[in-house]
Amino acid sequence: MTNKKRPLLEGLISGNTVLSGLMVISPVIVCGNTVMNALALMYAFSAITFITVMIGSFIPKRLPYGMKIVIYAVIASIIYIPVKAAAEEFFPDIIPRIGIYFMLVAVNSLITVQTEAKFYRMTRGKMTASLILHILGFDAVMLIIAAVRELLAYGTFCGRIVDADILISGLGAPFGGFILLGIFCGIYRGIGNAMRHDDDVSGGDGECF
Amino acid sequence: MFLISEFVVLLTTNLILTKALGTSTLFIAAGSRKNLLWIAITITAFTTVGSAGAYLINGLLPENFTDLRLLLYVLIIGVLYFALLSVLYFTDGKSFGTTRKYVHVSAFNCAVMGTLFTISENADADTSLNNIVSFIIRGAEAGTGFILSAFILMAAFKILNSKEVPAAFRGFPAMLVYLGIISMAMYALV
Repeated sequence: MTNKKRPLLEGLISGNTVLSGLMVISPVIVCGNTVMNALALMYAFSAITFITVMIGSFIPKRLPYGMKIVIYAVIASIIYIPVKAAAEEFFPDIIPRIGIYFMLVAVNSLITVQTEAKFYRMTRGKMTASLILHILGFDAVMLIIAAVRELLAYGTFCGRIVDADILISGLGAPFGGFILLGIFCGIYRGIGNAMRHDDDVSGGDGECF
Repeated sequence: MFLISEFVVLLTTNLILTKALGTSTLFIAAGSRKNLLWIAITITAFTTVGSAGAYLINGLLPENFTDLRLLLYVLIIGVLYFALLSVLYFTDGKSFGTTRKYVHVSAFNCAVMGTLFTISENADADTSLNNIVSFIIRGAEAGTGFILSAFILMAAFKILNSKEVPAAFRGFPAMLVYLGIISMAMYALV
């Protein structure tokens, strides 16, 4: 991987929104306990974040920081309305279960913090690529954690019963989400450290994490 | 006895420990006592005043337009955000550069927005809670709950970031597991 590609892939792996930045973790902890919940939240997060950040990039840069943040949040809240209407068609039973977390993805840190700190400092092409990878990074973590929790807590996958010998029902609760996310963060960091160490030993440039 | 029961209520209805709202902000706040104090005060101000605004909006918004709640709540927080920044700028211009970062961190996050939605949701379910005093009290309670969670995290902050914890789990991963264990204890209390 070249140095030019590294910042772009950062959002997917090394600078993952959830595991590295610990951003947007509330929906993962509370609602990321079934794959169907995860799919609904992934849809809301991806659609709202992508459209908002793209539209927000046309806001004049000379406006005061505080004003821009409010404008981004307002744009996200407007985008939320059609996104929710569509979600009610695709996930009619899931939206009431997710409750306030569906709305809260509209004021996520990628929109209110990372826009000014990262995305709008890039050229439009790079920004788009980086944004997509940051969104995919969140989606991947959300899906994996939800699948593991659903399997271990309820013995199902996408609502279908699977042959699970042991069920740990606590993993479906928010405290299970905290603990599992902590373990995933540790594993992710441990793999990153090991790969960096391997690269250092073999004379690599430590590019994976 | 009153204080003990209030303390238990604060723990069992704590938005961080029961709903994970504002966890990222909590990690920022727990880093230093100064950050904790200012972020907690600012968040409490946002949740308390914002809750009063949420009550007014809920009363004015027709039932068919509940999807507009998010937009209107964002506007309330936006107005409070500007108001607080203006107050800080005009009262203490010299340290504005330092203090404004606490306002930036505290305004648009799950702790504040989640509080407004949770209070409104509870009021929709139980009409006895649908009055401005209840909204303001619950907003203040949410802010106090944030402070309480921050103290719980701060108590173990040093050791969770020490060399005694394996490198991969040091810091945020250990803090998540720690909060999970505390949350599990709260879950058992309910």
